[in-house]
Amino acid sequence: MRILVVDDDALAAEMTAAVLEDGGCEAVIVESGDQAMETLATDRDFDAVVSDMNMPGMSGLELFRRLRDGKSGLPFILLSGDDPEQLRGQEPGLAACVAKDAELEETLMTAIAEVRLPAAG
Amino acid sequence: MKSTPSPVLRERIMRLRYAYIDKLPRILDEVKRACEQLAASPQEADTLDTLHRSFHNLKGTAASLGLPEISAEGAVGTDLLGRLKGLDAAERRSAVTAAVGELAACIERLDNLKDSAAIAAAPVTAPWSEAAVAAAAEPAVQRRVVFFCDKDLDGSALGAQLSCFGYTFSSFINAEAMKAEVLAAPPDAVVMSTAGAKLFADLRSTVAVPILFVSERTDFPTRLEAIKAGGEAYFVKPVTAHEVVDALDAVTVRREPEPFRVLIIDDEPEMGDYHALILEGAGMMVRRLDDATRVLEELNEFQPDLLLMDMYMPSCSGRELSRVIRQIPKFVSLPIIFLSSETDRLVQVSAMRVGADGFLTKPIPPEDLVTAVAVRAERTRVLRALMMRDSLTGLLNHTTLAQFLDTALANALRQDSRLCFVMLDLDEFKKVNDTYGHPAGDQVLVALARLLKQRLRTSDVIGRYGGEEFAAILWNLSIDEAVRVIDHIRRDFSALTFKADETVFSCSFSGGVAAFPEHPTAEAIVQAADRALYAAKEKGRGRIAPAAAAGQAEARP
Repeated sequence: MRILVVDDDALAAEMTAAVLEDGGCEAVIVESGDQAMETLATDRDFDAVVSDMNMPGMSGLELFRRLRDGKSGLPFILLSGDDPEQLRGQEPGLAACVAKDAELEETLMTAIAEVRLPAAG
Repeated sequence: MKSTPSPVLRERIMRLRYAYIDKLPRILDEVKRACEQLAASPQEADTLDTLHRSFHNLKGTAASLGLPEISAEGAVGTDLLGRLKGLDAAERRSAVTAAVGELAACIERLDNLKDSAAIAAAPVTAPWSEAAVAAAAEPAVQRRVVFFCDKDLDGSALGAQLSCFGYTFSSFINAEAMKAEVLAAPPDAVVMSTAGAKLFADLRSTVAVPILFVSERTDFPTRLEAIKAGGEAYFVKPVTAHEVVDALDAVTVRREPEPFRVLIIDDEPEMGDYHALILEGAGMMVRRLDDATRVLEELNEFQPDLLLMDMYMPSCSGRELSRVIRQIPKFVSLPIIFLSSETDRLVQVSAMRVGADGFLTKPIPPEDLVTAVAVRAERTRVLRALMMRDSLTGLLNHTTLAQFLDTALANALRQDSRLCFVMLDLDEFKKVNDTYGHPAGDQVLVALARLLKQRLRTSDVIGRYGGEEFAAILWNLSIDEAVRVIDHIRRDFSALTFKADETVFSCSFSGGVAAFPEHPTAEAIVQAADRALYAAKEKGRGRIAPAAAAGQAEARP
């Protein structure tokens, strides 16, 4: 799987990429929602987007809404420092909302596995 | 079944963690600047947003990198700023001053955390760089801030002594001025006269700062007043630096317990991995072993607090294995827990009879496994500590230190690393005991033990070798560096003053240092250090001497 990682914090992005790559995915990092939009406009070869929630300018949620409204159809996983329960079920079409905590490796890869399933099946 | 992070991933996360800790000072600087901006212009929505995002990032990134304490402070700031964002302009103007004060305290705590995180995250056998040797001249622990307010307390004399133990102090002339400062930037502790107790009675509800009282009064009402003002300790004048440091350490130092070490023996790797993951999730250190026949080597090397093993394995049964282990004296008290799908009570009982401490039936709920292991491992820890440590100083006793030295030399040989063995002896200690009495002598022993613990790295091994003799094993530094490190400690120690009745006295120590691989065996390195110590004493005490390389005459310090 090829995944676009969006995070303004370079270390956090590295961390996310490390987890994804360890799980056998390829990760491409961009620093902002705008960059993500640009990248996705020219490169259609992504299987999912993993984005940080809290970014300057366009937030992760805004990025998701724009992509959803633009009918990108890409599975979108939101990473947040806050309790992910807050968002669960609030945003139709959001594949998963994952908490940035000590269990990130596990919860993120579970979310990725869920995204991957329908495609594989 | 959960997936275990691969070694490669762990390594990457570890590197990211170092990088993050490296970057923290810059992040905190930015946050500090943004805080100042916010204080200056509370209406700037952008500043507030940036600051909120910075704290939010701290909270998230630190948590996923396994730095929960930093993340918790990030959460404090995030909540605070979140509330501020929710206010309208007028409310914000009035709330901003208090919020900035709280943020400053939060940043201050983060500042302290970043140093302890850097120490905690450093590899255990980090080489002693030039900077590290220089830093060892300063107390290794973060400096904690103490406010003094008492007309009789000679702030400067007490302060000079406290600074040897890692405290920075500010002295105040009146309690009101101090109270204002406590509110603005809470210190780690306050030492004050009971005269100002009333003023601080209402403080407890706003700021949680431990207060230690000093007083010339011993009556009950004064003591009660001190308790009501939240006093953590009460000293009757005259006070000594040592009793103050004891109390300050108790209220300001948060010691992270070492993780429990658990060895799992299971011939089914998936099962072993699964249990390992659960225990690691609870913060324990776990090693897995598939091959039961290697258990003795693994026990010696890993030194677990507890052994978790499958009841039925192909090479030998759990019962046989525990009998083998129990035949070795030093493993008699190691807790062994059997894991099995066996539900037959009789089989379980027979397992207990060969020395198992517990029996858990698979599948076991994760929280039950964690509790069963933690309770028993904790007990082993306590028992082991009682057996291994000197009761007065809390340092390792002679026997244990000798065992550690054997292990340390074996490791140094295998890893091709350096190691120094240090022997210290208090100068003319018998005179101290004879002149001032044994309680005064004990005070000196405890003070030296404390100073050594604070100044050496946590990976260094420190023990009380005999009556007034101490020894330490220092990793990865040259003999010259070791002499420098110990000499700094020697100088600071001789600056400490002790009190017996009305007499003030101080003490010094001499030391000898010998290095591996110049002295390759335990016997050789101990003898060499001892000879160097003797040479230092001969030369007039109060100095540290390096041992000569084997076969040469003693070097002159």
